[in-house]
Amino acid sequence: MTNILIFIIAILVIATLVQIVRVSELLSEIKNKDVNEVTDKDNNTQGILFLIVGFGFLIFVVWQMITWNHLLLPPASSVHGTQIDFLMKMSMGLILIVFFVLSPILFYFVYKYRGKKSNKAYFFSHNNKLEVVWTVIPTIILTGLIIFGLKTWDNAMNVEITESTKVIEVYGKQFNWTARYSGIDNTLGKANYKLVKGKNTLGVDMLDVNSADDKMAREVHLVVNEPVLLKFRSQDVIHSAFLPHFRVQMNCVPGMTTQFGFTPTKTTAQMKESEGADFEYVLLCNKICGASHFNMQMKFIVETQEEYDIWIASQDNLEKKLLTQK
Amino acid sequence: MDIALRNIVKKQLLWISLAAISMFFASMLSAFIVEKADVGNWKEFILPNYFVLSTGVIILSSLVLFFIKPQLKKEKSIFGLVFTVLILGILFSYFQIKGWQQLTNQGIYLTGVGSNISGSFLYILTLTHLLHLVGGIVGLCISTIKSKQNLYSINNYLGLELTVIYWHFLTVLWVILFAFLKFY
Amino acid sequence: MSEHHKENFITKYVFSQDHKMIAKQFLITGMFMAVVGMLMSAIFRVQLANPGESSILYNLLPGAWLNDAGVLNPDKYLALVTMHGTILVFWVLTAGLSGTFANFLIPLQIGARDMASGFLNMLSYWFFFIATVVLMSSLFVESGPASGGWTIYPPLSALPQAIAGSGTGMTLWLISITLFVVGSLLGGLNYIVTILNLRTIGMTMQRLPLTVWALLITAILGVLSFPVLLSCGLLLIFDRSFGTSFYLSDIIINGEVLHNEGGSPILFEHLFWFLGHPEVYIILLPALGIVSEVIAVNSRKPIFGYKAMVGALLLIAFLSFIVWGHHMFMTGMNPFLGSVFTFTTLLIAIPSAVKVFNYLATLWRGNIRFTPAMLFAIGTVSAFITGGLTGIILGDSALDINVHDTYFVVGHFHIVMGLSAIYGMFAGVYHWFPKMYGRMMNKNLGYIHFWGTFICAYGVFFPMHFLGLAGLPRRYYSNSAFPMFDGLSDINALITFFALAGAVVQVIFLFNFFYSIFKGTKATQNPWKSNTLEWTTPIERIHGNWPGELPVVTRWAYDYSKPGADEDFILQTEPLKEGEVEH
Repeated sequence: MTNILIFIIAILVIATLVQIVRVSELLSEIKNKDVNEVTDKDNNTQGILFLIVGFGFLIFVVWQMITWNHLLLPPASSVHGTQIDFLMKMSMGLILIVFFVLSPILFYFVYKYRGKKSNKAYFFSHNNKLEVVWTVIPTIILTGLIIFGLKTWDNAMNVEITESTKVIEVYGKQFNWTARYSGIDNTLGKANYKLVKGKNTLGVDMLDVNSADDKMAREVHLVVNEPVLLKFRSQDVIHSAFLPHFRVQMNCVPGMTTQFGFTPTKTTAQMKESEGADFEYVLLCNKICGASHFNMQMKFIVETQEEYDIWIASQDNLEKKLLTQK
Repeated sequence: MDIALRNIVKKQLLWISLAAISMFFASMLSAFIVEKADVGNWKEFILPNYFVLSTGVIILSSLVLFFIKPQLKKEKSIFGLVFTVLILGILFSYFQIKGWQQLTNQGIYLTGVGSNISGSFLYILTLTHLLHLVGGIVGLCISTIKSKQNLYSINNYLGLELTVIYWHFLTVLWVILFAFLKFY
Repeated sequence: MSEHHKENFITKYVFSQDHKMIAKQFLITGMFMAVVGMLMSAIFRVQLANPGESSILYNLLPGAWLNDAGVLNPDKYLALVTMHGTILVFWVLTAGLSGTFANFLIPLQIGARDMASGFLNMLSYWFFFIATVVLMSSLFVESGPASGGWTIYPPLSALPQAIAGSGTGMTLWLISITLFVVGSLLGGLNYIVTILNLRTIGMTMQRLPLTVWALLITAILGVLSFPVLLSCGLLLIFDRSFGTSFYLSDIIINGEVLHNEGGSPILFEHLFWFLGHPEVYIILLPALGIVSEVIAVNSRKPIFGYKAMVGALLLIAFLSFIVWGHHMFMTGMNPFLGSVFTFTTLLIAIPSAVKVFNYLATLWRGNIRFTPAMLFAIGTVSAFITGGLTGIILGDSALDINVHDTYFVVGHFHIVMGLSAIYGMFAGVYHWFPKMYGRMMNKNLGYIHFWGTFICAYGVFFPMHFLGLAGLPRRYYSNSAFPMFDGLSDINALITFFALAGAVVQVIFLFNFFYSIFKGTKATQNPWKSNTLEWTTPIERIHGNWPGELPVVTRWAYDYSKPGADEDFILQTEPLKEGEVEH
């Protein structure tokens, strides 16, 4: 409602301004002046406006940074995530420096060199030395950034998979997620979309020896500081598994299995202490997938080994769930 | 614009269109290569002989085109040559269609249950080439009619020149597509 | 070619082969579509600020798009964002920007009577027009228009069962884009051949204004990349309507097991983004070309580093073909491939930075005249700095992990395209309006339009970076499903406020534009005291551009405030004085 009122007021204000302008046009006509000629006075006004609005914009940016800093994601809750956060700080620092140097230069130049009929511009058409300088310096800086970034990317993507890495499948479909634990053998049973039937919503091949001990769940429990490998599948369209607190994101593509390995470093309990009792780790869908794309979520819980053992024991394995129940 | 400039301009317009059409086919060939690398999903099959025949026919048709300029220089009629190329072009199209028939006999379909991406690509590549060829045939029809009426001379045969360039392009394009389908 | 044929209403205004008229046809159609696209964004911004509520703005939508309580349906929200993106990227910033200025400026700035083929040029507009009609018709089909995002990834865009808009609406979208691409290609062919062959005597490539260089390079980009969108779309058409499996495999949708096997949605992404990335440079380069011209003329100084600027354009164009994978970092691609794309993407920052520095150097010690066009040109530079820098974050694959498909990306591409490129388009309209219509646009309304737009636009898009860093995904109908986003509703409300205000400000521009066509002050021949050839044509535009002989060029386009000259500008046709050295 308020938006609409503001909207209406804005229209009225603009309509008034327009009328004022038209009146000034007519007045100029009477005085025989060209209303559209850009005068020294215009240049002065606009130059000053650039200085004021320009720096106002920069202040606005700083205000946003200060006011909204607390809304940003908390520091990463994973090993590779901490490295990403560091790279992000470095990169952001760099671009903010460049932004806060170049933008004021622009606004200041435009103010300082605002035109006067009596002035003359300086005919300065090129300078090869300058071109080299401002090509080489960005190249060096960016190369450094690239190398640093590639290292971080490599650490995130080429995670070492060991015996102790727990394999968990995350299965996306319109519009929910299901997890499948790989059980004691830490191997997921084979699955095929043609086998989806009834309770077997993930199409697990129960003839595969590895399937019996798999467990399906509607939330994911992880043990703190233990590496995990998430394997992603989709049943229908492209979804994307986004776990922002862990700095994990991976598309779920029908016809393919993708994966992302990471090690969580903070328990949910710890996060509740620092972020508030309402905090939960969550998996969101981050690739447009249909009408309820905005509401496709699954809870993730990071806990101690003991808590996890209790929880996993309480989940039925697939042999029990799919084969023996009527 | 004088005639010489107009000719250059029209030819350049054609060449740039050919660049665009090449990108169209290049992207499909790239897709073909990428998908073929995924061995599990690719159904192999034998390329029907009709496509070998059609390759021969189109190469022949391009060779015939080379005789046009000498004939024009001697101020002889080129109707026979142009008409031959037109017939060969129609023969090419016939062989392509027979090739598709041979494919379906083998159980390779464009679509539907039982179809595979390998077959689909083959159909799409040959189909889109053929559709572009139809444009060439239209050009050849017009050129055939005009050459019968002796409207071309060595100093004034732009329309025919454009058709010839386009036709050579179709031949080269087909040879590349065929080589891919047969040997890759 | 020019003086003799008699024109009737149809051949003069409808099926015109005159490049100036065709340019205006592109401009008007582009402006109309801009209004449509902008209204769509106003509507979905209202939904985001007030989720689950009704709004008076929804009255603009077909009734079926709302539920019984008058609230926008989630899938129709996605339809709006899809159509908004499609319209603004293709219809406004490609056809509206290139189509207008390439058509208008190329023959005039190179000293030609018209384009190489007036007929192909006319066809290029009419293909565009029909594409527009087809796209607009998709708004009125029962199942709604395409709703899979402007990037239309399959399987979502291939399966009507996945979302209603992927039915008839998507089919119409594909037909429309095919026509659009054909029209664009027909135009591009003309631009290239005209620039290469029809330059007047003395107009060497080194004397071309930067605008023409930018438009030439853009046309080449288009010729090489748009056909790939056609092949991409063709395979999608076959998957949707003829049962092939290029992009589809292993799918169960709405309980139905589909027969498709062997296809890969990632193949679509590769083909799409192979066009998609050059496309954003097809949008940006003409804007930068316009800005180079406007800044030089209004600083009364040569554009700094002409050769470096051309080199930067060429390097950006070349690199734009090898960065497309940065849209696909999170698809599960081989990490090495991801590294390659990070490398090439960060490289493209270098020529972009060079251009910014050259603009700043042009302004330095200039004698700046603030026409409305100049204000927008300066706005372009500011937005290019702001938006380009966040590209460095997004281009780094490791950082992209947490900002991909969040509002961080939305902020980035809107600032580079929605601010930078659109400001360039506005600058072009204000600057060349006198040449197009023989009258001046009102200066004060132009000033108000600029400041209102500049302030509101930064107000809309800068806060989005924070939403992205808070983890908020894009294309979300509502943020209320996740408690972690509850704290963001104030930011959303602020963004919507600026969006609506900014939309209203555009009314000033529309009023100024149309009013000035009929009632604007009559323009003089060269109101901006510019050097380039278009300002040597008579004010009442004529077919063939110059009565009598074509101009002869003797110098480059940037002799502003040249020492020893009588005035602070020298027309390109002005012969060198005794002892004067050509720059």
